[in-house]
Amino acid sequence: MATDVELSDFLKSVEKRAFKRSVYHVRNDEAALDIVQDSMMKLAEHYGHKSIEELPMLFQRILSNCTLDWFRRQKTQRALFSNLSDFQTAGDDNDFDLLETLNASGNSDQNESAENLTERAQTLREIETEILELPARQREAFLMRYWEEMDVAETAAAMGCSQGSVKTHCSRAVHALSQALKAKGIQL
Amino acid sequence: MTTTTIPTQLPFQDAFARKVVTHLNKAADDLPRDISERLKVARSQALAKRRVIAAVVANEVAVSGNTLILNGGSDRQGLWGWLGSVLPLVALVAGLMAIAVIQDDLRANELAAVDSELLTDELPPAAYTDPGFLQFLRSNYAER
Repeated sequence: MATDVELSDFLKSVEKRAFKRSVYHVRNDEAALDIVQDSMMKLAEHYGHKSIEELPMLFQRILSNCTLDWFRRQKTQRALFSNLSDFQTAGDDNDFDLLETLNASGNSDQNESAENLTERAQTLREIETEILELPARQREAFLMRYWEEMDVAETAAAMGCSQGSVKTHCSRAVHALSQALKAKGIQL
Repeated sequence: MTTTTIPTQLPFQDAFARKVVTHLNKAADDLPRDISERLKVARSQALAKRRVIAAVVANEVAVSGNTLILNGGSDRQGLWGWLGSVLPLVALVAGLMAIAVIQDDLRANELAAVDSELLTDELPPAAYTDPGFLQFLRSNYAER
């Protein structure tokens, strides 16, 4: 059984990536925070007695299920209610504001030149945009396989599909990302 | 002439993915402060919940463990468990015996009351064995 410290360290090590992954899926910071919090609570509540080695897989599975639950709830809610905000346009998320980027970069990288910072922030923004554009299953497979560093079997188990499907999803995701970034003139 | 790219696809895929992940890691590390704080709060809430549940589960496991190794009999929890199962049975038997005694007493008292009524009546019980008296009773009833 994992100790409190081990569980805390584990959650600390995965929480930021889990949040970003949820944001990529649900595209809403508040909802992503709720999903990550739910996942942490469920892990602690139902699997707190498991060994530390089992926690990463369990957490990924729980996070995926919580994300799916969120989409199901949204679907039900949309079927029952209509918000006025749904009739508005998608907003200006795609507008790139150089000043915002500079502001968001903060003072932590003062040694780097402003040009490098801006370029890197822009690259990241483009990568995130392209990741958002990926089909959900490809995105999930790609992020689990490469960001969470899970092997093919683990990813397949977490996604509930075959290993062949994981390989296909990953391959297509990488291909789509590289093509899209190349088209934008971004060389990683 | 086209060259096949299959052998080189996998290393390219991994290398490209690693580069993308490097950028994503940077994005995750540079989360806004309020998001980081809320994640920290969520983490501590999860840990607190786990502590509460762990305490409850530990208690349950201890009890079930004792139940499984009850053959020792010297364990306090086991003795109480044994008493808890035997005492209601003893109380049931004692209650049934008490009810039987009380019912016997009530029956005896009823019989005694009837006997005493008969014996203290003006008409002696031996009168009912007299054929003339019985005839008298029948004729009286017939007249009514």
